[in-house]
Amino acid sequence: MEAVEYFEVECDEPAGREYYRKIADIVLLDHNLLRVIAKLHIFIDPKIPLFVATGVTRKLPGVVRLRDFADVNKKESSVTISIGDETYLAPLLRLLWEKFGKDRVNQPDRFTVLLTLDQGEQEGLEDLPVFDPSETIYKDLIYVLQVIQPEGFKVRRQYYGKGRFYLVASEDTLPDDTEELVRRKFALMGEEL
Amino acid sequence: MTHVPVTYKGGIYRHDEIIDLIEDLGGYIIQKHVIAQEVVLQALVPREDIELIRKIGKPLTGEITPSPLVGTEIAVVSPSLEIHHLPHASCDVAEYIRRFGAKTNMVGLARGFGKRIAQLNDEERDVINEHDLAVYLLGDFETCIEHKFPVLRRGIEVPIVLCGGPSTDALRKIIDPPVDGYVGGVGRFMHRTKESEEIEKLEEVVAEITRILDRRREELAKDPLSISPARLMDIIAENVDEIHDVLSPTPLTVQMQGLRVKLPYDTFAPVIRRVEVDEGVTIGDLATVAPSRMRDYILVRIRPFSETSVVL
Repeated sequence: MEAVEYFEVECDEPAGREYYRKIADIVLLDHNLLRVIAKLHIFIDPKIPLFVATGVTRKLPGVVRLRDFADVNKKESSVTISIGDETYLAPLLRLLWEKFGKDRVNQPDRFTVLLTLDQGEQEGLEDLPVFDPSETIYKDLIYVLQVIQPEGFKVRRQYYGKGRFYLVASEDTLPDDTEELVRRKFALMGEEL
Repeated sequence: MTHVPVTYKGGIYRHDEIIDLIEDLGGYIIQKHVIAQEVVLQALVPREDIELIRKIGKPLTGEITPSPLVGTEIAVVSPSLEIHHLPHASCDVAEYIRRFGAKTNMVGLARGFGKRIAQLNDEERDVINEHDLAVYLLGDFETCIEHKFPVLRRGIEVPIVLCGGPSTDALRKIIDPPVDGYVGGVGRFMHRTKESEEIEKLEEVVAEITRILDRRREELAKDPLSISPARLMDIIAENVDEIHDVLSPTPLTVQMQGLRVKLPYDTFAPVIRRVEVDEGVTIGDLATVAPSRMRDYILVRIRPFSETSVVL
């Protein structure tokens, strides 16, 4: 948890607090999200019961474009794409099929994609945005918080955007002052919602 | 002749000699696992013959170790089978108990999670009651355990070992009426237990189970069963051929007071009741043959001497 600037678990029961500290640490590590989080404050009150997680993300990595992971070799009426990093191959193919149609996209082997494109269509192909990590990262974050929270808290309110995220969960109806509570937890980290 | 539960581990080469030996000495093989080149036998053997088996097994690189839980079936009860409890907390405990010879079944409750909303339905209750002992694996908060445990134990008649995050003393304080065993520090966790202190915790769970089951065995010895479950297992295996076609790892699961027979009840209950144990004595005379709540299995509960006036 060294990578995270601020990490606190707040709970009346000291034993429970230590366990949840460890659980949060391990779950975030397992899902590869420690790098993404700058600050995280978890508040658990087993008496109500209520689970609140508030946090701030680091600057997220930018949009991945075609030239970031592949070489684009243009010829008169065809383009050869040599894939360097397979991670983004699936979203790339889906994009190309959608844009040019399956009959013009040929993949003779794992690392090569051949396109039949005229000059006009070849324009700006390298800058094609393939994958936006920020779209999935918040979803992953909320999923991970649901794994961390005690099980059975089915009533949830969640928010993400502008570098902030929070999740409030309980098994009962959420109290009216949820928003206020979340603001207070953000204030503890020296942040504002 | 008193039988002692043991595990024999050795090479697959000539292991049938060990099996024959145990059977000739009057012992029972409860379970046999063949894992690649290794054979693991869980058996009940006469106490005085352990040295003999050790001697004969030695040239075959066989090792014999006491396994206090051979011949017991234990339920490991988890609030649910969600990622919050699996695989680590539940599987680690279930697996560790298995190493000591017990047959463990994981019981994932349908709605065991939460504090106020936790429930136990009649099927779950009956399934847990079919075991020799139930290990409850609850969470990390005292408040929650105190609130939900009375619901989860309702109607459970078998001994309970309660595991949870708070310390053993804290657990003992919040549970009323008391259960048979407590192990603190084994609550919800999300990592594999491999450090020595975590393994020690698992050892504690096994020690607690062993202590309770030993006491239970002593109680049973005061009014002994009409026939030992292991012997009944052999008799059923000899007389009901269909049991050999069952693909479960333990088609006949030995418990402390009976057996689980993994054959359909409607077809095979009458067959099992009619099986002759000794001249003129059938299984139906010595035991109740009832339908199990687990699938379509049969549960054989052996009656004590005081009811049947027979000990075989």
